[in-house]
Formats: sequence, C-alpha cells, structure tokens
Amino acid sequence: MDTTSKKLFKKILVANRSEIAIRVMNACRTLGINSVAVYSEADAESKHRFAADESVPIGPPAPRESYLNIDKLIEVARQCGADAIHPGYGFLAENPAFADRCEKEGIVFIGPSAAAIRLLGNKVESRIRMGDAGVPLIPGMKASATDIKVYEKAAKEAGYPVIIKAAAGGGGKGMRIVESRDQLGPSLEAARRESLNAFNDDTVYLEKYIVNPRHVEFQVLADHHGKTVHVFERECSIQRRHQKIVEETPSVALSPDLRGRMGADAVKVAQAAGYTNAGTVEFLLDDTGHYYFLEMNTRIQVEHPVTELVTGSDLVIEQIRIAAGLELSPHFESLTQRGHAIECRIYAEDGENSFMPSTGTILHYSEPSGPGIRVDSGITKGSQITIDYDPIMAKLIVHAPDRDLAIRKMIEALNNYKILGVKTSKRFMIDVLRHPEFKAGRTFTNFIEKHLSERKTDMSSYKELAAAAATAAAVTSSESPAATGQSRSVRPTPWQLLGNMQIGDSIHE
Amino acid sequence: MNSHEFVFEGEELSTTSELLGNQVRVVSGEREFLLSRVGENLYSLTVNGKAVQAAAVRHQGVFYIDIDSILLEVKEPSEDGFAGGAGGHEGEKDKIYAPMPGKIVKILVAVGDEIEVKQPMVIVEAMKMENQVNSQAAGKVKAVNFAAGDQVDTESPIIELELAE
Repeated sequence: MDTTSKKLFKKILVANRSEIAIRVMNACRTLGINSVAVYSEADAESKHRFAADESVPIGPPAPRESYLNIDKLIEVARQCGADAIHPGYGFLAENPAFADRCEKEGIVFIGPSAAAIRLLGNKVESRIRMGDAGVPLIPGMKASATDIKVYEKAAKEAGYPVIIKAAAGGGGKGMRIVESRDQLGPSLEAARRESLNAFNDDTVYLEKYIVNPRHVEFQVLADHHGKTVHVFERECSIQRRHQKIVEETPSVALSPDLRGRMGADAVKVAQAAGYTNAGTVEFLLDDTGHYYFLEMNTRIQVEHPVTELVTGSDLVIEQIRIAAGLELSPHFESLTQRGHAIECRIYAEDGENSFMPSTGTILHYSEPSGPGIRVDSGITKGSQITIDYDPIMAKLIVHAPDRDLAIRKMIEALNNYKILGVKTSKRFMIDVLRHPEFKAGRTFTNFIEKHLSERKTDMSSYKELAAAAATAAAVTSSESPAATGQSRSVRPTPWQLLGNMQIGDSIHE
Repeated sequence: MNSHEFVFEGEELSTTSELLGNQVRVVSGEREFLLSRVGENLYSLTVNGKAVQAAAVRHQGVFYIDIDSILLEVKEPSEDGFAGGAGGHEGEKDKIYAPMPGKIVKILVAVGDEIEVKQPMVIVEAMKMENQVNSQAAGKVKAVNFAAGDQVDTESPIIELELAE
C-alpha cells in the first residue's frame, strides 16, 4: 500500500493542546506532513508546543481568547500556510461554525461536515432522524401530558419498569422508578410535586427504565466516496460524575451476533446523518441485550487508542487520509479484534477526595514501558497543571491476549507510572480493576456509585514505608530542579526549535 | 548511621539510614527496608516479599511519594513550626521561644538538666491545640523563666540553655 507517499496536506494546524495535540502531530510526522502547534500564554512551556514543526502563540490562557478563538486560529493558519486544521477533541472539535469557517477560508477541517455536526449536536432532532432510520431509541413519551391514561399507555408500550423524569429536571429531582401499573398514579403525583418544588414546573414525561445499563459505543469511519464502516465497540461504563475513566474493548457483554447488529446500526446512524470522517455512536445496552441509541460524537474520542490496539489501526492517520479525499484504507474492511485493550485516564485530581481537581508543578515524571503498554501523555517533568484547562494529563493504554491479563498488566503499569507533584486517581483506578465485580465483567454505569462510594485508603498503614522512602530521597538526591527554578526540563533545546531538518535526502519526499 | 525526622499525617516519625553505595538501609519505626536506587527519584524495595517501586522527590520541605500508586506527603519538621524550635529566632539555639502567643501547659525540663538535640522542652497551648517545642541544640538548662499556667508571647525566651561544644 503506497497511499502515504503522496503528500496529503502541506501543513496541518493542530487547534488543540496537551496529549491529543501531540497524538495528531505524531501522525502528521508519520505521514511526512508538517505540523503547527498553537499555544496560549499558559502553555508557553507545555509539551505539545515542542512536538510540532512550528509553534505560534494565540493569546491569553482563557480558552475563549485562545483555543476557542476562531478568528485567531484562522489567521494563524493563513499566515503559516496550513491547508488543513485538526481540532482534536473538546474546544472547537464539535463546533459547526468553525467547520463552516474553515470551508469558507479554503482550509480543510479534519472532521465531518458542518451540517453533520449541526444535526448530531441537536439531541432531539438527531433522535427523531435516527428513529425514522430504524435505529432503536429508548421507548417513551415524545411529549408531556396531563391525562394519566397517556402515561399508562406509554408505560405499557415501553414495558415496566419505567422512569418518570421532570422535563426541567436534573439531579434526580422529580424522578421516580415505577415497577408496575398500580404504582404509576401515586408515582406520577409525587414526581409532579417534587418537580414543582424544585423547578417551579410540574411537567414530567415517562420512558423505559434501563436496568443495569452499560455504555457501549461504536467507532465508525466514513469516507467521501460513500463507504462507511464500523471499527467495533468500546465499553465505557466506568464513569464518575458522568465522565469516563476506564474504557475497554471488546465489551464482555457483546456476543458476535449482538456486536454485528449494533455495528450495523452504528453504520446506519452515520449514513442517516450524512457523516464523513471518524465518529462514535453511543448506545445504552441493558442486561437483556437490548440497546438504544444515545447520541453520536462527531470527533476523535479520548478513548480511541483501545480500538487502535485491538485492531492494529491508526484512526488519526485515517482521519487525515479521509479529509484529504482518499478512499477508506482497504484494511478497515477486514479488521478483526485481537486480544483485549484497556485505557485509564490520568487526570490531575484527588482520587482520595471526591476527585477534586489538583494543580501544581510536575516534580517527577516517569512512564511505564513493556510489551503492549502505550502512554499518550501531554505532560513531562516541570509541566504546570493549572486550573485553566481540562485536568486530563495523559492516558495509559494496555493490550494483552485476554481481559484478565490486560487487567493485570494495567495494574502493573499504573504502579510503574510515577507522577509526583499533583494528585492523581491511579489508586482509585487500581481499586476498580481489582474489584471482583469488574473482574467478572459486571460493569454497569452505576459501578463506582454502587461499589466504591465508601472506599477509603488507609494511609496510616503506609507511615513506615513513607518515612523510609523520604529518607532514601533525603540521602540520595538533591532538591528537584523544578523546585529550585534552576532549570526547566521542558524548555526546548535549539535542536527542538529547528523543526524538521533535511539531512541528506529530504524527509518529506 | 544518620537519623532523620519527619511529619506524616500530623505524626512525628524518625528513621535512621545507612548509605551503602546505590542502596540505602532505613530503619523506620519497627521496620527495616533496603531501598535500591533504580533511577532518578526511583527506588526499588521489597515489602512482604514483593518487589515494589517507589518514587520520592523533595520539594520545598515536602517529600512527595508514590508507593503502590498511593500518593503520600511527608514533611520535614519545620525549623519554626511546632515540631521545631522557636519561630523568628533563628540562630538563637540557646533560647526556647513559644511558636505563637499562648499558655504554658507544662515545662518538661529543670535547671541543670542535660539536654539533647530535639528533646521536648515545653508544651504551649495556642488555638486550642497543644504544641510541643523541642530544643534545637544539645546543652544544659541555664534558666527557666516561666511556669505552667503563664501566658507567653513569642519574644520572651521560656528556657535558656548553655550550649554544649
């Protein structure tokens, strides 16, 4: 296959920061495409700035004035001659106005069309579209009603148990799970009263209650020549505060038949939306094997590496190829899932204290290594973790022949991933991975709430060890350089600032 | 053999260490560890028969430690804190001051006593907490200027020492 020898783009501007920016820049380097980093004042010393061939400052730390500043990003792209922009995830990745603007300026947006982003960003409209396309939705009422008979009919159609939700709702207020028809009347009244008190609005609706749901999503790829495929599933049921922290593939809950049906529906969703490039179709899967469309994410996902490891593919490179107008690489039509992959997100947050964000300077940084271990990191020693941005610092991904080995390998890798200076939730994730229910594959979206809400680490049993480690540090090493301010390890050497050089034959030909 | 003092979760801990090339033998409380330096800030040690990798780095008087992915912070006893000597009187090792204005709960030594470094000298109550003040140097108690129950500020020495050579 010789598709990468022809230059797909001259130069790609990466409109993002930290690990995902570096991930994209590495893909650019592999393809022989120059890359441009943009950075805010808060990121002047950050790792992603030095991973590209050029870097350009784009303004103050506040995202609105830098990473979300469309005018500024377009101006930089024009000035440096970038013919494409990769938005990463977050920031402008799912902003249709940005995709529109790129198109107007003649710069390729590496992602779906603005129209597809707009449609899928509207959760109500996209559900209607997908329902019409025959994709299963959570059964329930399309609108609120006053007559109890409407609720009775809807409950009967959806099948008990059902859940009553406040239209203005949130935080569990005005919510009632109803197991049978005789409870419906009283529950409806209670939910309305609660909703009225909480939101000054007694509008409630009803839908099927999903028992023990799992979050299962499908990676899809679609080129501009009518070809759409799925690249299997990822299960992301382990969430805290509705944010994923542990992701894996394959999902233990899918039989080959169920995988085939869900994958086919994921492709159907992408086609119904006129989707191109990489995207993710999210489903809720219940414990009886029924699944329901939730939404489609129109970007590369944080958890994309698990898919890459079990399929041996490179999704970011494929994004770039598709955006350049090439046909989908043929190997995507014959991929198989080999072994098992797990990802843990390394956030700067205190796993011992309700995941409170943690800020500071990275005083020590060392990564695990070995067969099947991948680290996508945006930090290094000396990096500053500030309150300006999302607290994700890195992702640790492992690949092993089976799930049990992958779990063991991940625990080892987490223990050998040393980040000092800010808090992380490494230990919390180890407790997830070691939990008998996780090992048994009983991973539902309420896992943390159900099994780990009472969790506490007994620090006092570590006091002799802690004092011993402090003693060793006191007698064998001096104060860390980051502490004394004598050197900043992330400061680039002149070699890093030079960008790609031509030594002998041009590396770009 | 070197001895070290730390504060962990409010508790004072002491260790002794012996440097053996690339290894450090540490006696910590009832336990003994042999830590081998395997990289910058990285140590390998055996705990209950299993090899464990620890990371430890010192930054502004605090040791940041990762053992088994548990993140621990161990502090050096501060010179002017409760575990140390008198605040704002650095260099005056022959005088013991209260760390903050308060009431003397107990004087732990008497005139003529021989004193070792970091020996508890007096307990002062401030902000509803009892704070032990230790000596910063070895010597002999020359004068005790206050008694239990007295109010003290941070400027008047509670105890005066005659420093040893």
